[in-house]
Amino acid sequence: MNGLISVLRSVRERRLATIGLIWLALVCIAALGAPLLAPFDPLDFDPLARLAEPGWPHLFGTDHFGRDTLSRAIYGARMAVLIGTGSVFVALVVGGIVGMLSAYFTKLGHLLMRAVDVLMAFPALLLALVLMTLLERSVVNTIIVIGTVYATTTARILFGMTLKLKGEVFVEAAICSGAGHASVLFRHILPNLVSPLLVQASFIFAFAQLQAAALDFLGLGLPPEVPSWGNMLSEERIYITRAPWLLIFPGTLIILTVFSMNLLGDAMRDSIDPRFRKDVKGV
Amino acid sequence: MALLEVRDLGLAIAAGGRLLPVVRGISFAVEENETLGIVGESGCGKSLTALAIMGLLEDTAIRITGGSIRFEGRELLTMAPAERRALMGNRMAIVFQEPMTSLNPVYRVGDQIVEVLRQHRDLSTSEARERTLRLLEMVQVPEPEQRVHSYPHQLSGGQRQRVMIAMAIACDPRLLIADEPTTALDVTVQKEILELLQDLQKRMGSAIVLISHDLGVIAETCDRVAVMYRGTIVEEATAGELFANVAHPYTRGLLASIPPADRDVEWLEAIPGRVPAVDQEIPGCAFHPRCPFVRDLCRTARPEGRDFAPGHSIRCHFPREWRT
Amino acid sequence: MTAPLLQLRDLRVHFRTGRGGLFRRRRILEAVGGVSFDIHRGEVLGLVGESGSGKSTIGRTLTRLERPTGGEAIFEGTDILALTARAFRPLRRRIQMIFQDPFASLNPRLTIEQTLAEPLFIHRLARDRSEARDMIAETLELVGMDPDAMKRHPHEFSGGQRQRIGIARVMIVKPRLVIADEPVSALDVSIQAQVLNLIKKLQRESGVSMLFISHDLGVVRYISDRIAVMRRGKIVEIGDRNRIFDSPRHDYTRRLLASIPRLPPAPN
Repeated sequence: MNGLISVLRSVRERRLATIGLIWLALVCIAALGAPLLAPFDPLDFDPLARLAEPGWPHLFGTDHFGRDTLSRAIYGARMAVLIGTGSVFVALVVGGIVGMLSAYFTKLGHLLMRAVDVLMAFPALLLALVLMTLLERSVVNTIIVIGTVYATTTARILFGMTLKLKGEVFVEAAICSGAGHASVLFRHILPNLVSPLLVQASFIFAFAQLQAAALDFLGLGLPPEVPSWGNMLSEERIYITRAPWLLIFPGTLIILTVFSMNLLGDAMRDSIDPRFRKDVKGV
Repeated sequence: MALLEVRDLGLAIAAGGRLLPVVRGISFAVEENETLGIVGESGCGKSLTALAIMGLLEDTAIRITGGSIRFEGRELLTMAPAERRALMGNRMAIVFQEPMTSLNPVYRVGDQIVEVLRQHRDLSTSEARERTLRLLEMVQVPEPEQRVHSYPHQLSGGQRQRVMIAMAIACDPRLLIADEPTTALDVTVQKEILELLQDLQKRMGSAIVLISHDLGVIAETCDRVAVMYRGTIVEEATAGELFANVAHPYTRGLLASIPPADRDVEWLEAIPGRVPAVDQEIPGCAFHPRCPFVRDLCRTARPEGRDFAPGHSIRCHFPREWRT
Repeated sequence: MTAPLLQLRDLRVHFRTGRGGLFRRRRILEAVGGVSFDIHRGEVLGLVGESGSGKSTIGRTLTRLERPTGGEAIFEGTDILALTARAFRPLRRRIQMIFQDPFASLNPRLTIEQTLAEPLFIHRLARDRSEARDMIAETLELVGMDPDAMKRHPHEFSGGQRQRIGIARVMIVKPRLVIADEPVSALDVSIQAQVLNLIKKLQRESGVSMLFISHDLGVVRYISDRIAVMRRGKIVEIGDRNRIFDSPRHDYTRRLLASIPRLPPAPN
């Protein structure tokens, strides 16, 4: 709790991070209130208004089926938040458990971390592509795949940090008090990992957006009928000259969201690691 | 004229827009051929004083709030940075506690000494190499011809400290400051290093300021001793006079706190309490909250420095109270 | 005479240095090379030596933080080095350790109460929180701290206070053997004296046996009944405190004693 407060305080000290936080809050509101906020049904065709330019009543214009771009973008926020949090959850839980256990139980660690090394030898997108081709296109599968990809980096980071904490005197003192494995891991090691995990979560959230958009664009991510920013880019890419707004809007949304999350992540990292604090203040 | 003369030196930590005093106007002087010991517990300001003399407080949170530091008659605090740099490592040098962190790990130790020599002396590389070998002999590093090619991590702690000393005395400094030079070392090695410092001083006639928390080290090596507590020198005298006639209750408490190795003691007479935090302002005598002989005057009036005996100064309203 | 509380027999601890690899052979470092001694009930054995002598490794092996290569340690009739980790856990209550660095030995995220309650619940010494709280308050007073300290976190305390808390964590489970690994060497002289007095007082009152590890001969003399001098993984000399200091037999002990900076006698 104290950690969260100090993170929020350090965010408030930075103008850009504050703007980022506001933007992310807007995305969350759009995601939660999509049915109320969207002026049209995102799936409704309007054959008479195909590729309409931004204006009234279609503020962001329409696509080649005549679907309202603004409504689709608002529903797209849903997917963005869902994929982001889902991937973060999978990556932290899987990566966290693998990393912590590997560092704590050395023999198991040799095995698990080599597997992680092998997975990390693939470029992230390639790994996601390989996994997606094995699975059906669905929201859950996309989350699982992106989560798995970032579980590897999370495991690496947590492996190192757990190894360091395991050698701390207070952990040895707990062992001498008679604490068992579960108590040492969850009472003494894990709470000291929460802050770095939070930072890691913010970066995973940001990268997951890009990864999801890339998968959608390649036709391997979410099912095509699902309104997501990546799918919007993918479907309308052939109209880039005739109706550039179809790409500008979802593209901008992706960039803004990723950028905001990265700013937030930087601010959080700085609040944890004071080494970064001085030089970047006010940014 | 003394070689080094510090007058009313004040240092403060800049924290949260405030200046918290850590050294509160201390004065002392060191003559050539003399070893001055500064002793005190952590936070008393002894190491910061050393850094201030060496001009190593730039880019830190420590500010010099007043006073003067004169070396060979010249004021250091107003000297141009370039001029001052020319003095450092040349006319005055410092040896730190941790020899591993003060040596650059990626260069051979011989090259590091050569570098210092060439910076301050107009020597050719081969002349500098020759002098480096002689320096290592002086500080009794075994097999100097081989050791010059070693990297710092290949040497033992004691040998690293010898190399640091060789580097410090490379240019025959008139003043050598040794800040806890043996704290990281084993007792047997400590003894050798302290003997080496004394031996070098005899040969070169320079002045040494030895800073330590260890009264034993100070008692064995120093001609004069200054005891610091919370940024002030509370007692100063020649080593003989001080240890024969301890007058300040803090000095007495420090001595009584050390478990002696040469006799049995049932209970140690510990100083109660602890040093107050830097941001805490103590009215009157800074030591009064921990002093067993405290009286009303101590709580309100800050004691001025005065002579307790010839050459023995003290900051205490009621010195040697335990006698009465 | 009753059997000793702890009989250490021919303890050996080897470390592999340099992990070895495809092209490198592993090097073996002998940290402890065959050490034997007894600790009797109510006795303080001082273990003195310079850095790298292996004195800390012995303490860490007895608390099973380090794995021995050979030898046995008979504690109240069982060889604690031969037990499985699970079988050793209940014995941890009996063998406790005071660590050197008071700033690193307390979990920064836990309150003092949480830290001190942990061993109470693990070893079922307290039934519930209120009973635990009473015991914690009592122990904190024992080590000279205000019971209110239990609500606070480690960073709110000075080094000396933290070491008192570390001692409280050890004493609260009423151990039979305490291993104190350089417990005062990180402290300032005046605080060191306070903590040494406290350790001596608690040892006398509880009658606990103690292995007191230190590089400081004065400290060891102050606290110990018997003293073992270590060098390069072996004990060079062991005997009664005064015998070691007054008539040392081994050359190394003599050299060690001669190296101590001599201090003028403390004023009366």
